[in-house]
Amino acid sequence: MTEIDQPKKTAAKVEMSSNNEILESPSDVAIAIESFNAFYGDFQAIHDVNLNLPAKKVTAFIGPSGCGKSTLLKWINRMNDIVPSAHATGLIKIGDLQILDRQTDVVDLRRRIGMVFQKPNPFPKTIFDNVAFGPRLHFKISKQDLTELVEWSLRKAAVWDEVKDRLNKSALGLSGGQQQRLCIARAIASGPEILLMDEPCSALDPGSTSRVEDLIYELREQYTIVMVTHNMQQASRCSDRTAFFYKGQVIEEGQTEQVFTNPQQKKTEDYVTGKFG
Amino acid sequence: MSNFYSTPRSEANRKSKNSYFAVICLLVCGLVVMTLVVLLASIFFTGGNWLSWDFLFANHLEDNPEESGIWQAIVGSVAMCFLCGVCALPIGIGTAIFLEEFQPRNSLLRSLHWLVQLNITNLAGVPSIVYGILGVTAFVYMFSYFPSITPNDPPTYEIGANYRYQMKTLGGDFVNFPCPDKTDKEFRINESIEAVDSRGNSFTLNVVESRSAAPKNDPVLLDQTVVKGKRPSKYAVKSFFYFHLPFGKTVLAAGLTLGLVILPIIIIASQEALRAVPASLREAALGMGATRWESVREVVLPAATPGFMTGAILAMSRAVGEAAPVLAVMGGVLVTTNGLTNLMAKTPVLPVTIYKWAGDENVGFEHLAAAAIIVLLVLLLVMNSVAILIRSRYEKMLG
Repeated sequence: MTEIDQPKKTAAKVEMSSNNEILESPSDVAIAIESFNAFYGDFQAIHDVNLNLPAKKVTAFIGPSGCGKSTLLKWINRMNDIVPSAHATGLIKIGDLQILDRQTDVVDLRRRIGMVFQKPNPFPKTIFDNVAFGPRLHFKISKQDLTELVEWSLRKAAVWDEVKDRLNKSALGLSGGQQQRLCIARAIASGPEILLMDEPCSALDPGSTSRVEDLIYELREQYTIVMVTHNMQQASRCSDRTAFFYKGQVIEEGQTEQVFTNPQQKKTEDYVTGKFG
Repeated sequence: MSNFYSTPRSEANRKSKNSYFAVICLLVCGLVVMTLVVLLASIFFTGGNWLSWDFLFANHLEDNPEESGIWQAIVGSVAMCFLCGVCALPIGIGTAIFLEEFQPRNSLLRSLHWLVQLNITNLAGVPSIVYGILGVTAFVYMFSYFPSITPNDPPTYEIGANYRYQMKTLGGDFVNFPCPDKTDKEFRINESIEAVDSRGNSFTLNVVESRSAAPKNDPVLLDQTVVKGKRPSKYAVKSFFYFHLPFGKTVLAAGLTLGLVILPIIIIASQEALRAVPASLREAALGMGATRWESVREVVLPAATPGFMTGAILAMSRAVGEAAPVLAVMGGVLVTTNGLTNLMAKTPVLPVTIYKWAGDENVGFEHLAAAAIIVLLVLLLVMNSVAILIRSRYEKMLG
């Protein structure tokens, strides 16, 4: 593990070229969300949410369907920009960067905040080109460095051994679990600080799920991870902190263990014990 | 409760209705297939015997169906199809990309966007003869913006033409000499001038005052002698890039008109192809920090290309079969002297040839029309097979 923990040259390059406020000013808070409201047209999906998401930790968003957890996740890297009726008020900050500000460059924002989706969605390209997609977009990078970076990302995403002999084959030939780990490799290849995961295991079989969960647990050493999940066991297995959403509000947020074993709110208790949801 | 279930419907009745319906469907389907079979059989019986290599490589001959052929029509059809594809594909696919991938958020622009979409959908249903009339106005005459082309006046705006004079000498030979001013209608031969005779030899033209002064005893000189004040005829040597404005009744105008005919079809087919690209791929690309254009170029376009190709080939096979707009723009050409030497030439095409031959009063041409239909069908079949081949290759490459 140690020899592959950093891509030798490229990681340094990526880190230098990124305008990384968090690492320069060490703070526990990676993402600060203040009095945040989100709407789809007239419908208010999120009501006045205040949350601080800690750096280098896994935060899980749990809650019943339609409670706004995916909406909040998609606002963190402004993916809701492509939904015509979506708009929001309040603040989401990464360091000094105001994410919701119209002036904020979403291209660089999304390089700094990688995203993994519910269904594995590799591009219909080769495995190599999938992982190289982000670096090629954002950096001028030599072929040799790119090869190294691709290997590093695939190793980091624990999929290297399965794909190293078929890097030039189409990514669509991989199994669902391999595809999802490839998507994680693709997300970390462009050197993000934060990874957003929208129910990353919901389309996977139990075996693949546990591999991806292990991966998430390992990745938090280097990345701030925010993950939406419907699976409470999953949240308890691989997250450090848990936020419980209900009807667009955060009912409770705290250490995962505390939220699951000693919830402070009645609603949370009902949800985690399976009384509704 | 029991009275609800006291009288069951006859099961046999329900089952027989089921089989009647299956039989009706089978009959209707059989009718369609029968029609096709009858059509193909009648065409093959009428024209099959007339198919030969000579038929393919000969050209139309007036009053002589036995030796007539469709070579120029095949060349013309392929060239016109190519022309309309070249002009309609980039515009059509570009429009589809704009309509599907760059939908505006502003409400005013959105309604404009909706209006464009509505228009394109409607345009796909406009009869092709209407496009023919549009083509005549827009391409043949270019809204009468440029001086129109008449047989006596060379076009004002043209490139690739070299004008020369030709005249018959007293000896009966034809001599050529340069034309310094193509617009000069009053040019008369008044003095000696350097000329070229029909064998390619240069000489100085001998000009005499009148026919009586001709050197009757010297046949060589007589071949080089013309009477003063005679008006030579003007002709143009046209290179392969000959081009003029307005386009006139030419293959270029006809190709562009066909491009208009298939433009809505290409746009709609390309939109379908783009819609078939999963939204998750776009999200993935945008989520990586790609701009809209990068996501379109890197991810959406490659995934939609097989769909584009299918749409393009289907649209072009419609263009190959169109007769009405071509008739409106270029007229019913059956054969030309020089063939298709440049874009400003006229050319026969297969559908127009079939139309003219089918209506020809001379016995035999109706067989030729059927034979030409077979050729057209084969051409369409080849085009569609190529489309399917490319598509399957591409899909194999992807997955």
